[in-house]
Amino acid sequence: MTHASETTVPRPGGGFRIDLKAAAPFIALAVLLVFGALLNPNFVSAANLLNVLTRCAFIAIIAVGATFVIASGGLDLSVGSMAAFIAGSMILIMNGMGGDPTIGTIALAMLIALGIGALCGLANGVVTTAGRIEPFIVTLGTMGIFRALVIWLAEGGSIAMKDQELRALYRPVYFGNVFGIPIPVLVFLAVAAIAAFVLYKTRFGRHVLAVGSNEEVARYSGIPVGRVRTLTYVVQGLCVAVAVLVYVPRLGAATPTTGLLWELQAITAVVIGGTALRGGTGRVWGTVCGALILEVVGNIMVLSDLVSEYLIGAVQGAIIIVAMLVQRSMSRRT
Amino acid sequence: MGSGDIVLEGRGLFRSFGPVEVLSGIDIVLRAGEVHAVIGENGAGKSTLMRLLSGHLEPTKGTVAIDGVPCTFRGPVDAEHRGIVLVHQEILLAPHLTVAENIFLGREKRRGLILDDRRMNREAAAAVLDLGADIDPTTAVERLSIAQRQLVQIARALAVDHRVVIFDEPTASLTPVEADALFRVIARLRERGIAVLYISHRLAEVKAIADVVTVLRDGRLVAHHDASELEPFDMARLMVGRDMSNLYPERRPPPAAADIVLEARDVSVPGFVENASFVLRKGEILGFGGLIGAGRTELLEGVLGLRPSTGEVRVNGKAVRFRTVHDSMQAGIVYLSEDRKGKGLLVGQDLRTNLTLSALDRFRRGPLIDKAREWAALDRAITAFDIRTRRRDINAGQLSGGNQQKLLLAKSMLIEPDIVVIDEPTRGIDIGTKAEIYRFIAKLAADGKAVIVISSEMPELIGVSHRVVVMRGGHIAGEVDGARMTEAEIVVLATGVAAQAA
Amino acid sequence: MRTLMLGFAVAATVVGGSAFAQEKSVTMAVSIPAADHGWTGGVVYHAEREKAALEARYPGLKIILKTSPDGASQANALEDLSAQGIDALVTLPHNSDELTDPVRRVKESGVFVTVVDRALSDPTIQDLYVAGNNPELGRVAGEYMKKELGQGDIVVIRGLPIVIDEQRVTAFNAAIEGSGIKVLDSQYGNWSRDDAFKVMQDFLTKHPKIDAVWCQDDDMAVGVLEAIQQSGRSDIKFVVGGAGMKDMIKRVMDGDPMIPVNVLYPPSMIATAMDLTAAGLYDQVPVRGSYILAAPLVTKDNAAEYYFPDSPF
Repeated sequence: MTHASETTVPRPGGGFRIDLKAAAPFIALAVLLVFGALLNPNFVSAANLLNVLTRCAFIAIIAVGATFVIASGGLDLSVGSMAAFIAGSMILIMNGMGGDPTIGTIALAMLIALGIGALCGLANGVVTTAGRIEPFIVTLGTMGIFRALVIWLAEGGSIAMKDQELRALYRPVYFGNVFGIPIPVLVFLAVAAIAAFVLYKTRFGRHVLAVGSNEEVARYSGIPVGRVRTLTYVVQGLCVAVAVLVYVPRLGAATPTTGLLWELQAITAVVIGGTALRGGTGRVWGTVCGALILEVVGNIMVLSDLVSEYLIGAVQGAIIIVAMLVQRSMSRRT
Repeated sequence: MGSGDIVLEGRGLFRSFGPVEVLSGIDIVLRAGEVHAVIGENGAGKSTLMRLLSGHLEPTKGTVAIDGVPCTFRGPVDAEHRGIVLVHQEILLAPHLTVAENIFLGREKRRGLILDDRRMNREAAAAVLDLGADIDPTTAVERLSIAQRQLVQIARALAVDHRVVIFDEPTASLTPVEADALFRVIARLRERGIAVLYISHRLAEVKAIADVVTVLRDGRLVAHHDASELEPFDMARLMVGRDMSNLYPERRPPPAAADIVLEARDVSVPGFVENASFVLRKGEILGFGGLIGAGRTELLEGVLGLRPSTGEVRVNGKAVRFRTVHDSMQAGIVYLSEDRKGKGLLVGQDLRTNLTLSALDRFRRGPLIDKAREWAALDRAITAFDIRTRRRDINAGQLSGGNQQKLLLAKSMLIEPDIVVIDEPTRGIDIGTKAEIYRFIAKLAADGKAVIVISSEMPELIGVSHRVVVMRGGHIAGEVDGARMTEAEIVVLATGVAAQAA
Repeated sequence: MRTLMLGFAVAATVVGGSAFAQEKSVTMAVSIPAADHGWTGGVVYHAEREKAALEARYPGLKIILKTSPDGASQANALEDLSAQGIDALVTLPHNSDELTDPVRRVKESGVFVTVVDRALSDPTIQDLYVAGNNPELGRVAGEYMKKELGQGDIVVIRGLPIVIDEQRVTAFNAAIEGSGIKVLDSQYGNWSRDDAFKVMQDFLTKHPKIDAVWCQDDDMAVGVLEAIQQSGRSDIKFVVGGAGMKDMIKRVMDGDPMIPVNVLYPPSMIATAMDLTAAGLYDQVPVRGSYILAAPLVTKDNAAEYYFPDSPF
């Protein structure tokens, strides 16, 4: 440490430096894409890639919300059940509205769905912070509650959109495209962009990272820790609702299996994307990449004839672990 | 110099982190039955040297030898097996486990397959008693004071067979009584023929217990001396490489009848403080003295809304009730915690994030945070507070203790407070940085702000304060100023000993 | 092997001649999986309807209905139920191996045991066994493929890796053996619309020409049809599902070319089992034995017989 180096303190951005840790999930995805292309040329066809991108939209959108919760040091296990609950409620509301099916009907139902999502998140957040209960337990509880509510609403069967005209009107939200890019893809890119903006550029985002980094320091710094925590769950609820807006037009129904295990996929996507489960970091684009990796792995498995259908789960699990190992070794090198 | 056999030796040690060389060609010799002190400013390379000798790091160049045989440690555990133990400065204990469980963690005593808790508790109690403390071995560590935790940590380090014991600033959080007990432990180690490596900022302490002193500056060896040849004053001069006559800034006269800016009346913090009252005037530096655990930190945290409390608080004559620290910040009061890494700074986040965390509203442009202005603020803070860092994009945890304190000061000043409360302002900080921080505190008062300094170092309290409030056992024991502001008076109030004798 | 119709005939006869014994106080426990997809949802629906109907018919009869989300909690539920003191148990077990011993313990306390749909590993435990014909479901679908397609390339979407799935697929493969039909690919769709949608999308990417799809369950058929519609492909001639979901029966009835037929595997078999068990308890008629319901092919001509618009499934 010489005195010369103390007076001229270099600032980042002077040269182009790649943050290997942030780039790791993207490198893993690239490797997977090459691997997939070698196994089956159809894999890199535009149609297949668009299918995969579109399918990963739900998990990606939900996982973006989970990035906020996890970055603040929390956890939300209820997202899958919440998705099913919001989807079921939204369809029942559309079925109940009656009248001529118009865009207005759908728009109103969408707004209500977003409201329900925000309320579900608020419930998780308030119970966690005001009740001082571990988020794992709180959201495990609400996971059961939301799931039971869906089953109750469906009376054991499925909740389907009754009005075929309305269904036809809504269908393009999943199957339609703008300049060849499927609408769900546009939606998840928009959600991720907004989320990245909020997390990296606003005071709320900074507070989220501070709370996740060290709650005590945040409290001593005058940050309203409880409010920040609660708001992350509301963000999560809103993201789940947005995912549902895109999910409902695909099959036009919610069943008791809707959203089953989505919470695990979302958390996995967040972690693969480079966000630490202990909080303090949040990588929105990494999360999107993580969701894509999950979906691509499944897609490659079906497209190739590498292993029998009995062993697919094992290979998927192994690939996820390898992806994490690659990421860990890269972050160690920096 | 010493006459015992050479136990551990470093020859021409170099160590670099990336392109930065932090240690250049250090030779050091530890002999059996000798206390060897290493002193130097923060960043001088003391910690790196210690980590090389204890197997936490490998030297880039040079060798470490045990009994004259060069060896390479496979890690700290390997070094421990060879009899070299390190007492960390940081508290590295499992907070939910008991004292005995911590002391024997990883080397539990068993009877067959079953843990022999009774034996472990007995031996743990004996080990702690050996250090001059009396702690129930079945107490959970989280319920101990920081000083007690430190003693448990020392007991844990000494529980393995050892030939070399390395202490990293062990007295930083100990009271004088506890420190004396530790010195007795060190003396006993020396009698048993153990080699002791002792790292400290407290030069008077070094003078008292060390046989040999090694001085480092900027990663280079300045000198080896017999401790008897050096006075603390000489040590300070060697460390900083210049004359260190003025540690404390010139004291300005206390503001006689300035307005009262903060007043606490009958404030109680359940479990810690009962009916404490004090006043703070504009332009004044008010010291808070007392033993660790007397309730000083808790009182101020209660007043500022960081803990539940009762009683009356007035700011500029107006009654206020702070529910969160956010409220007290709005009222212009800022608190700098003694626990810099646990409560002051986000050690895993970068300097810029830390600097602006409490004052983000001042860096907003619409909904956005203006990063350019944040960077500019960091530049200003680095200059104004003399924060020494090689890069601006490192994490706060990578700064040395003194620079962390400067960053915390810079962060707190961003909200432009009128009242500044600093808890243990120079704990774990080298003498050069200390002087800077004292000057800064004096300047705050001179600029018309009011400052409260909580400190366990009496020379510091006397050196910077206009007035000292002394606490004992959760009560205000008394107040001294002017000519009565002496170590003796403060000790009497803090311990109550003389009061009983009289 | 008796058919569905025969089963109902037995029940009807015994109900007719036993009015005097109906005051007897009897407790019947019904343990079934929770509604985790459409077909099990149908099971719950029919069990609840039958409970109301039977309790009205036999004033002394008390029916305790218990749904469980997985095998382990069903085992617990069985313990709880038998602790309450029951006379009969009607159960649709989550899986065979895990629940054989829990059911055996119930049986050992002297309870009349009726097993529905999924057979236990030890068939001596049950007094009465009511089931759909899983191999038959596969065979009928396979025969239809052979007859309609003659030769061509098909893909198969399986359910979950449990015994009944294996039985269906084995029988299907046996039925098409020797014909010109080639199974290009088969994957698990977990009896879920979403998963079947994904698998079908990937099949469509992987195989340039697919003549037909067999997906053995109507829930999954919904997802398959959406995937085909989205791809805009016209090479797929038809999809054969199974189970008799009302939407699919309706499409058969309306002559939808994509859904020309369906193979019946009705969730209402739980009602058949409850009805027979109650008859055995109240009417001293022999009901012990196995009742295997037929898996008839539903075509445009007979679809109206199997269409129940009020059912949730």
